[in-house]
Amino acid sequence: MSTKKNGMTLIQKQRIAGWTFLTPATLMIAVMSFYPMFRAFVISLQTGTGKNMRFADPIFNNYKRILADKVFQQSITNTFLYLLIQVPIMLLLAILLAQLLNNQQLRFKGFFRTCVFLPCATSLVSYALIFRSLFAQEGLINTILVKLHILNSGYNFLGNSLSAKIVIIIALVWRWTGYNMVFYLAGLQNIEYSVYEAAKIDGANGWKTFWRITVPLLKPTIIMTVITSINGTLQLFDESVNLTKGGPANTTITMSHYVYNTCFINVPNFGYASAMAFLIFIMVAVLALINLKVGDTRD
Amino acid sequence: MKKKLMAALLAGMMALSVAACGGSDDAKDNGGDANNADGGDASGDDANAGTDAESGTDAEGGSEEGDAAGGGKLTVWAWDQTFNIKAMELAAEQYKKDHPDFELEVIEQSSDDCQTKLTTCANAGDYSTMPDIVLMQDNSYQKFLKSYPDAFTDLTDIGIKWEDFAALKQSYSMVDDKHFGVPYDNGVCAAFYRTDILKEAGYKIEDLTDITWSKFTEIAVDVHEKTGKYLLTSESTGGDIIMLMIQSCGANFVDEEGKAYITGNEVAAKCVELYADMIKKDAVKLVNNWDEYVKTVTDGEAAGIINGNWMNGTLVGIEDQKGLWQITTIPKVDDVETATNYANNGGSSWYITSNCQDVNLAKDFLLNTFGSSTEFYDTILPATSGIACYLPAGESQVYNEPVEFYGGQPIYSTLVEYSSHIPEFTKTPYHYEAREAVNTAIMQIVNGTAQEDALKEAQETLEFKMSE
Repeated sequence: MSTKKNGMTLIQKQRIAGWTFLTPATLMIAVMSFYPMFRAFVISLQTGTGKNMRFADPIFNNYKRILADKVFQQSITNTFLYLLIQVPIMLLLAILLAQLLNNQQLRFKGFFRTCVFLPCATSLVSYALIFRSLFAQEGLINTILVKLHILNSGYNFLGNSLSAKIVIIIALVWRWTGYNMVFYLAGLQNIEYSVYEAAKIDGANGWKTFWRITVPLLKPTIIMTVITSINGTLQLFDESVNLTKGGPANTTITMSHYVYNTCFINVPNFGYASAMAFLIFIMVAVLALINLKVGDTRD
Repeated sequence: MKKKLMAALLAGMMALSVAACGGSDDAKDNGGDANNADGGDASGDDANAGTDAESGTDAEGGSEEGDAAGGGKLTVWAWDQTFNIKAMELAAEQYKKDHPDFELEVIEQSSDDCQTKLTTCANAGDYSTMPDIVLMQDNSYQKFLKSYPDAFTDLTDIGIKWEDFAALKQSYSMVDDKHFGVPYDNGVCAAFYRTDILKEAGYKIEDLTDITWSKFTEIAVDVHEKTGKYLLTSESTGGDIIMLMIQSCGANFVDEEGKAYITGNEVAAKCVELYADMIKKDAVKLVNNWDEYVKTVTDGEAAGIINGNWMNGTLVGIEDQKGLWQITTIPKVDDVETATNYANNGGSSWYITSNCQDVNLAKDFLLNTFGSSTEFYDTILPATSGIACYLPAGESQVYNEPVEFYGGQPIYSTLVEYSSHIPEFTKTPYHYEAREAVNTAIMQIVNGTAQEDALKEAQETLEFKMSE
């Protein structure tokens, strides 16, 4: 009778409580993320400059335009180049650093961890500007190289497309390695030390232990960092804008930078820009999905 | 599987933050309807003053009908404390003498921020966060006009004698026969040279006056060999030299109908050829950004600068180079009939936005300061070194005074004189697209692509960007 009085069973009550806790976050995500995503898709079907927007004819015209846009294609190539080179280097470095700093005998651990993590505390714009001045023609790097008689005069790192790309990759590695290292460190601390001891007793050397024990046990963390890194790199923006302005001759421009230019530097075309942004979104989603599939060993 | 899909979606979500720009940006209801503005009696509600851009448009409305506008407050977006903002503040001071209740608030925004913010406001269809008056680059205005035709106020009937401004300067802010901007910062170009370095290399300023670009290249190479200094510096991405070269011929990278006109354009081909040649011969130093550009001057690596006269503001700040600089005309393009030694680059004008709640006051203010007062221009010249576009100001005594920094050369009147010779050319909303396409082509040519192929690609890129 008493359940009738309250009108629900205990399970129902718990469900209600659960939903009550979920609702605010769900609503926020819906309003702040899913609605803009939906709007962006609608806008991506429109065309026109600035405020004079109308639905494109044919409706997917903006997406068709992407196929003909050489600058955007160049930006895709650039971005994927950063992705393919920078992400593996960075993650490998991060995992090695984590391994080193996880050493039980290491002294001043906290100090070293802080040092490696510190770059993440700098703002994207300011670190990009610092790298810009480091690699300027009269910057610190050139001054050192000239003083050491490696170069006769300053090399224009940011004015040459290959070296500009390398500088961007170096900057990215510097900025993000520590960030990923923290995840690995957390992952490593979850691995029982006794597992390593057992391996030692069995005669496994450091290399074997790393590949046979550390990496498999870190797998969920690795997958997570790979996804966030892919996500971050595909949306690379600050470095391209502040370090090189996408130059020389668009050889370092990233996709997001081009999307920004289409909205705010050139005659604004938000429809086309949204279409490109949506394509980036699809790329990220697909890559993340593949990543999850590849990493899934449950069956 | 569902969970994974969600995870993937979430991972990709950030990609949309850019796309969502035009989205649901709920503006604060600032109640500043047009109705409030002509309420007649000043509500005296100062509570909001000085908080942000909106404050100026709030229901402060102390406007009286008609021309005798007096009290009330205007907000302005502008950049450069020592130049534009200073001039605006001096203008407010002068206007206050006759209108004691007048108030003006200048909010500093970099030129890029001004543009980004205007774009965001206008695209969201919510003008309420815009200021009353905004400063805008001449090169940008046509773009805004095309995209947001209702964001600015028509100023044709403001009462300014438009013939007092140079025709070219006016044309930047005009549509058909309507005026939308009050011309302010003059963009007339000059060649600034270090006379001491020229002397070291065996040249005088006269040797560089009224010359052609090929002669310039010859001298620049020679100067570089003898002294290690460069006569010309330019940004490799977004450099202005190529634009002022073609515009000094009264031409552009678009034709009269506004279509992309790079291939088949002989003037364009000649300019690109000359400029690429300069880069190949190391007659010009390419830098990657504005900081490096300025650094070549402050470090004494630049023996010359060719740019808008506003470079003066940077130069006069370098105390130890005092008396070493002089100005003369810029080189002209070879073998082009319409070529001149005069061009314009990067000036700006004042615009009244359609968010302005007290249009009469804003108009009256601009008319009585920037629009018609030689007295005002005489005040701002010594304070800001800003050269007016207002032609009667150029006859004033202040403009003819020798300038110590330039070894006693009366540069202000000289520059005003230059500005009367600049040829007109077809403007385009796609100025930045054209500049980028051509600069990209030039970098390709320098790296070995045939000029014809590079320009063909530039033409295609520009055509693509002009299509929808």
